[in-house]
Amino acid sequence: MTPPTVPPAVAESLLRRSIANREWRDAVSGDLREEFSDLSRRRGPSVARRWYWRQAVGLALRFTTGRLIPMAAPRRPMTIPDIDTEGRSGWTWLNDGRYALRALAARPALSGAIVLTLALALGANATIFNLADALYLRPFRFAEVDRLVVVASAPDNDPLADRSSVAPADYRDWVRESSTLTDFAAADFWDPNLSEVDQPEQLAGFRVSPGFFRALKTAPAIGRTFLDEEATPGRDRRVVLSHGLWVRRFGADPTLVGRTIRLNGEPHEVVGVMQPGPSIPYGAEIWAPLAYTEEEWQERRRGWLLVLARLGQGLSVGTARAEMRAIVARQRQQYPETHATREVSVSGFIQAMRDAGAGPFLAIWQAAAVLLLLIASANIANLLMARGTERQQEFAVRLALGAARWRLALQVMFEGAWLALLSIILALPLAALGVEGMRRGLPPGVLRWVAGYEFMRVDWAVLGITALLGAAATLFFSLMPALQASRAAVSDTLRQGGRTATVSRSRRWLGTALAAGQVALTLALVVGSALILGAVDAAVNGVMGFDKHHVMTASLTLPDRPYAEREQRRQFVSRVLDRVRGMPAVESLGAVSFLPYAGSSSSRPIYPEGVELTPAEVRQADFQRATPAYLETMRIPLFEGRGLTDADHEEGRQVAVVSRSFADRYWPGQSALGRRFRIAADAPWIEVVGVSGDIMHDWFMNQRRPTFYRPYAQDASLTMSIVVRTTGNPLDVAGELRRAVAAADSDQPILELRSMEQVVADKVSGVNYLARALAVMGGIALLLALMGVYGLIAYLAARRTQEIGVRMALGATRWQVITLNVRQALVITGLGLVVGTGLAILLGRVMASALFGLVSLDPLTVVAMVVVLGLTALTAGYLPARRAAKLDPTTALRTP
Amino acid sequence: MPPKTPYLGEFEYAVLLAVIHLGDEAYAVPMRELIEGRTGRPVARGALYTALERLEAKACLRSRMGDPTPERGGRARRYFSVTPLGMRALKSTHGALANLTKGLEAVLEQP
Repeated sequence: MTPPTVPPAVAESLLRRSIANREWRDAVSGDLREEFSDLSRRRGPSVARRWYWRQAVGLALRFTTGRLIPMAAPRRPMTIPDIDTEGRSGWTWLNDGRYALRALAARPALSGAIVLTLALALGANATIFNLADALYLRPFRFAEVDRLVVVASAPDNDPLADRSSVAPADYRDWVRESSTLTDFAAADFWDPNLSEVDQPEQLAGFRVSPGFFRALKTAPAIGRTFLDEEATPGRDRRVVLSHGLWVRRFGADPTLVGRTIRLNGEPHEVVGVMQPGPSIPYGAEIWAPLAYTEEEWQERRRGWLLVLARLGQGLSVGTARAEMRAIVARQRQQYPETHATREVSVSGFIQAMRDAGAGPFLAIWQAAAVLLLLIASANIANLLMARGTERQQEFAVRLALGAARWRLALQVMFEGAWLALLSIILALPLAALGVEGMRRGLPPGVLRWVAGYEFMRVDWAVLGITALLGAAATLFFSLMPALQASRAAVSDTLRQGGRTATVSRSRRWLGTALAAGQVALTLALVVGSALILGAVDAAVNGVMGFDKHHVMTASLTLPDRPYAEREQRRQFVSRVLDRVRGMPAVESLGAVSFLPYAGSSSSRPIYPEGVELTPAEVRQADFQRATPAYLETMRIPLFEGRGLTDADHEEGRQVAVVSRSFADRYWPGQSALGRRFRIAADAPWIEVVGVSGDIMHDWFMNQRRPTFYRPYAQDASLTMSIVVRTTGNPLDVAGELRRAVAAADSDQPILELRSMEQVVADKVSGVNYLARALAVMGGIALLLALMGVYGLIAYLAARRTQEIGVRMALGATRWQVITLNVRQALVITGLGLVVGTGLAILLGRVMASALFGLVSLDPLTVVAMVVVLGLTALTAGYLPARRAAKLDPTTALRTP
Repeated sequence: MPPKTPYLGEFEYAVLLAVIHLGDEAYAVPMRELIEGRTGRPVARGALYTALERLEAKACLRSRMGDPTPERGGRARRYFSVTPLGMRALKSTHGALANLTKGLEAVLEQP
């Protein structure tokens, strides 16, 4: 078989298009083809094809930059369209565009620096915009998502409120009474343990009312969803799987539908598999029917359901909200006991279901990225203006020959447009890299919960925003040089004969303002990233109230069917602890219901003895169940009384250890020992036997919440974490911990197996992530600003070479010459720092309020950054000034 | 008035010599191979086309289009030949170099 002799068509067409002269076009492309077929025979078609692309692109570039064939005469200067074409073929856009490209190619270093700077800034913006779009603006993209609302028993204005808050009896009332909302659906958390598979696993699932899938307007890929009669106890052992789970755990087995799988130790029939798509709600992978008994449906006091509904035809969220408020107002009258303070919120699905915490993060990122773009644009404007001054001669000649001033301005704009186009092209792969980096940076355990994660990729929206920002930046940075070009004074410039002169006053001020602006914006950005870095450091290494080092943790949730009895839970925990306790590296170990920093907690209303509280006065405290050695294992100090002991068994006195803030809240100034409280108006009394230190359970709230610890033996929970303090590396006991859980119950999965240090690191990974990304942007900004100051001073000094020569010839000292230029650097830095400090304080305030008190505006940080930036900026200005002063006066005078 | 004998750059000199060497077969592909083979230095295609174009503009070379061939995708070759002016330029450059090297043969032809 003869190898193909036809080169890549696209490359050939590119080459042919780039050559204007027909004979040359044939000769060159023919030559290349001849060599191509020869190479293809000798080295194979793929080598030849790559070779051809290289040659074609190289030649095409040479031809289009006009250095080759279109030039008739040797070494002719670049064609200037005014002279070249006016009176013959007239003016065309093409000519101006081509000339602009050639002008840029003539200064490759400058053009390259500009394109790279702009591409970096645009890439950063595109990356952040994509994150904001995917995770916050449009995390759910399915049909009619804007008609879907979430109704919750929570205040309307609190984006962080728990939406899973509706009492079953309320839900039933609403379905009956509302006329503005249709297709109501309710969902309840249900995390079943999948067993009888190679590795047991806890799945994220929900029990949902049969109308759930109808409300979402989604259909199964295989099988069906739930029937109405399956929402009854006893008939509810049915599940629908998400497409992801079906592929991940069941190898996309099409015969799975109709078979049973074992969940929480009981068989469940798989009735359907959904289409690939968003996992609603909250990363759900499996759904079962919500099958409450009639008694359970009567619950009105406590609420836990997540409620979805569709807006009626043509109705707005406002209308539905008004109606729901009226309904709840009626309920308040009807059930004063339970509903005195009940509220209701109706919010759009996206607003309710997106990650509310992501908003401020992304806003800060986006602001930083825009700042970076502004800094880059200011830098480019200064570079282009410096270049514009160099070209005054060219412009003056063109004006003298009759070019219109607007043509010169347009010329400069064209160059700007080319730069922007090249930058946008380069920014897209950078953005793709950025988005990919962001995806990889997310901890895998978190991914499933990140709504909109699948939209993190470069798409049309990213392309659009990049192009838009690129165009805006172009307008910004080429407008001033364009105006400058159009104002070129013909006779003065020509008469100067190209000799350098001091830059005009207005030009110098504009340059100073731009450079100072860069310093100011950079200061704001570095202060911002320093504040966040400080906050992350405080969260990871600050005072937590416990010792995170040398502790291994395993978190799991026991299913409620086999573990309905408290005794069974106790036995499970003892079996696990006993087995691990025997290991040599283990110092102490315990179990607790909710691990600090792990993201979940439980709270109870507190009724201290001897105080009458109205329902509005009752406050909540964090509720923990712990085994005796838990406090010791976590090194949480005990201030008063005793810790929990093995003597606190089920039949013993009901006791608790409370945290110091708990004691201070209810018995200020007195000893809490021996005091009693209860967690419901009719619950048994619990006696305080000890007072412990406070811990930071959730750094994000940045406060110590009053907490009480109950003995695990007296109140065994289903959710728990085993904590093990080791003498060596905590990860060394991970394997044994896993084996111990498997030995206690082979069907029981471990949800997460992490060292305590990892738990802390994972928890702050989001902010850590933010801090690192900001630090990178701050670093780039700093570099750009220093480049800007250096460039401007070097340029101004170069323009003054003659003046310096004259001054030195007349006896000026070197120091006087240096101050001449350094003065300018002082003005830039001073101006930039004053404005920048204001900006930084403003940004610090915004961040402090956006990040819920996590970040506080630390004056010391601001001062430190001002000093650092001031010194580096002055150095950047001093270096070129000193170089200028080293000139030999005679050389300086002779310089043209 | 006959045109002034142009001065030839080093690469132009090499290109003219290659055209003479190749005679009737003087088009870009073998020219490049010949120069590369004899000088041992790589020759960029773009540079060769530039030089050919420039020499033609200086009237040292003239060109004609050959017949289209299928192996070139129906494209014709552009054959070059040296003009009398080109010959004069070649001789004068060669002569100038020869004058300069006269007496240095012992040095230059040492291995």
